[in-house]
Amino acid sequence: MELRTPRIRLFIVAVLAVLWMGAVLARLSYLQLFRYTEYLGRAQRQQQRIIEISPKRGVLYDRNLRELAMSISVDSLFAVPSEIADPPMVARLLSGVLRTSADDIETKMRGSRSFVWLARKLPPDMVQRIESLNLRGIYFQKESRRFYPKRELAAHVLGYVDVDEKGLAGIEYEFDKQVRPRPGKLMILADARRRWYDRSEQAADAGESVALTLDEKIQYIAEKELAAAIEKTRAQAGSIVVQDPNTGELLAAANFPTFNPNAPGESPAESHMNRAIAATYEPGSTFKIVTVAAALEEGITRPEEVLDCQMGAIYINGHRIRDHKPFGLLTVSEIVAKSSDVGAIKLGLRLGAPKLYDYIRAFGFGQPTGIELPGETRGLLKRAESWTAASVGAISMGQEVGVTSVQLITAFSAIANGGVLNRPRIVRELRRGPQTIPVSGALPSRVISPKTAATLRRMFEGVILEGTGNRARLDGYTAAGKTGTAQKLDPNTGTYSRTQFIASFVGFAPVNTPAITVLVTLDSPMGGYHGGDVAAPVFKRVAEQVLAYLDVPHDVPLMPSQILTAKRNESQPRPDVSDFDPSQMETAGAPSALPVFPPEPVAQPAWNVAPTVALAEGEGVLVPRLAGLTVRSVTEQCLKLGLNPVLIGTGVALEQNPEAGASVRVGSRITVRFSRASGAGTN
Amino acid sequence: MSGNRKERGGTADYYTVKRIDNSRLVRTANPNRFRESCRIVAFGGVLAAGLLLYAWQHFQCLQLGYQLEELKAERSQAAEMNQRLKLEVAALKSPMRIDAIARGTLGLTVPVPGQVAPVYGPSEGVLAQARANALAASSASTR
Repeated sequence: MELRTPRIRLFIVAVLAVLWMGAVLARLSYLQLFRYTEYLGRAQRQQQRIIEISPKRGVLYDRNLRELAMSISVDSLFAVPSEIADPPMVARLLSGVLRTSADDIETKMRGSRSFVWLARKLPPDMVQRIESLNLRGIYFQKESRRFYPKRELAAHVLGYVDVDEKGLAGIEYEFDKQVRPRPGKLMILADARRRWYDRSEQAADAGESVALTLDEKIQYIAEKELAAAIEKTRAQAGSIVVQDPNTGELLAAANFPTFNPNAPGESPAESHMNRAIAATYEPGSTFKIVTVAAALEEGITRPEEVLDCQMGAIYINGHRIRDHKPFGLLTVSEIVAKSSDVGAIKLGLRLGAPKLYDYIRAFGFGQPTGIELPGETRGLLKRAESWTAASVGAISMGQEVGVTSVQLITAFSAIANGGVLNRPRIVRELRRGPQTIPVSGALPSRVISPKTAATLRRMFEGVILEGTGNRARLDGYTAAGKTGTAQKLDPNTGTYSRTQFIASFVGFAPVNTPAITVLVTLDSPMGGYHGGDVAAPVFKRVAEQVLAYLDVPHDVPLMPSQILTAKRNESQPRPDVSDFDPSQMETAGAPSALPVFPPEPVAQPAWNVAPTVALAEGEGVLVPRLAGLTVRSVTEQCLKLGLNPVLIGTGVALEQNPEAGASVRVGSRITVRFSRASGAGTN
Repeated sequence: MSGNRKERGGTADYYTVKRIDNSRLVRTANPNRFRESCRIVAFGGVLAAGLLLYAWQHFQCLQLGYQLEELKAERSQAAEMNQRLKLEVAALKSPMRIDAIARGTLGLTVPVPGQVAPVYGPSEGVLAQARANALAASSASTR
């Protein structure tokens, strides 16, 4: 056969092509039918990457949505030891940056061949320095890290998290399930150059944010004043709680000792204790609020009734109980004002154990309040059946019972708000994006009638006006309160200590329309130890600042006070206010990182005496009388005369500066203060 | 042009070539064939265009995928930066820090109760109306 003929050549080419195609098809079929799964897996391993999306924990806000705790992404360092050629050298290089021993790093590297954490959640400067080393087998992984930008502020309420962002204390622990995010998955398709070009996502479930009832500013006032009080009295510990008596919401819960939640491990464990809910103490005289409230509600006494306080001594079941002062005949109001133990015991004995017990329970003692914080104690309250003969007397004056600060302030708030016990709350709402989820709580319950509450408010006002709490008297506001001085139990002897006391003061203001209730507790103050001496002044400072911050109108005229001189004390060390650096947040402060400032000097007369306006005196216009006019009329009159009105407040004009009849130049400023209610807001 | 020449033995063979002149032949156009060709070309063109379009779309899709991923990465970085800045703002707004600056650096003190004057500014509408009335009154008096 002649192979060179074109037809035969064509035939051979065709056969070869068919064979080639057949071979390709056969191989293709083999790969598709028999090796499909294997190659699919290999392709997916090359092209796909599955990344776990770890959304961040929800933010913790105060009541005005100011951030108190939030998370950001930071880098963690890990090694793939199988890729590291010279582990000792790499360990040496890293130890210089990480400030840990090279041996430790090397030991970690030898622990696994595929993956080992070397350091978690590093600060950015460290990350940069390690990146610049350009080490093979050393990588970074993004992780979320919790920061508390206000450092010690509300540390006991917020709590803290561990390295895996799991809540360990406070709200972080209590709401861990809600705040903690559920991770999602991200499947990435990458090309040969590892560039991503497509993805499919299994959505992550972001954690819910929590809006607390705390107000950052009020919390700061409380913490600052507590730190100052601790500094002054050298008390071992203390707490200040501020509550809205009308809702039960806590506006502040300050504790000492405190800690920095950014670095909780650097503070002693006892500083982590939220004393406001976890520390039980015998309240002493502040507990008389229950005895007196119960006696009035049951109608077994009246404020004007006179009782014989037996010159300061009474025997119960063979035990002699002495008053802090020998009192003779006192009205019930005076018993409260002067804090007579004998008088309180007599009222308690009249009530009897069952009724006293019922009222104590109704006021919320001996049971957890249900506040949304972990570690709350129920306090100490024996059942009425197991009370001894002396118990009624002891409990009537605040002994043989253990209470927490939150229980006590909640009970006092019930008197402030007209007799309704509101469950104390620390969480306002949960937030998922723009959606808010209200937190439901126990319904309020009436403990005493509004009439009894009103009577009690007047009686407790007397404590401040003419009783043991006169150092709690506020400037510009009425206030009611009760002092407490309780002996601590000596754990060594089992008897009451003669040297260690719990000084406390609980009060609210203003009396008729209470806006806040404040409880100050100081544990073992040195020197003065009476609640009226050491705790009442703290109440005054806190209440005055908080009421001003809340814009609560004054309900009594201001005392002739003095303006403080704005003068920097050069000898005082300036606090560190350097700009933001997340790593600095970890720096744990001293026992209190809050600055304690010395008492401020006083100098000139007050606002209404020293005008705050710049007044250009001289010939020109006579200032008209503006009192009683509306904002519009005042503005019209002033502009008509060519005066420049500076208007403060709304309603009708109460005060003006300069006074009517003064001669001023055209264009002078006239400051006019308005108020909605005549008589209110006078300065 | 001469034909093939081969040498056999020692003699040379000569072939004559018959010249055919078909230059005057005219190929008649076949309209059916032409239409068929056009159809094939058109079909081929459409097919090729479709394939090209598909390929273009595919590569465009890949390019957009790259761009999208880059933008998503940028967005993620921006969100991260935003979070960092929020944290920074929160830290800078810390009451403790502000208090320290106010007292330590600026020499300010806590105001006594009389110094605190809550300013409830009257609404702009009221002021504007009052000013307008005053202006109207003054212009009327000058006339």
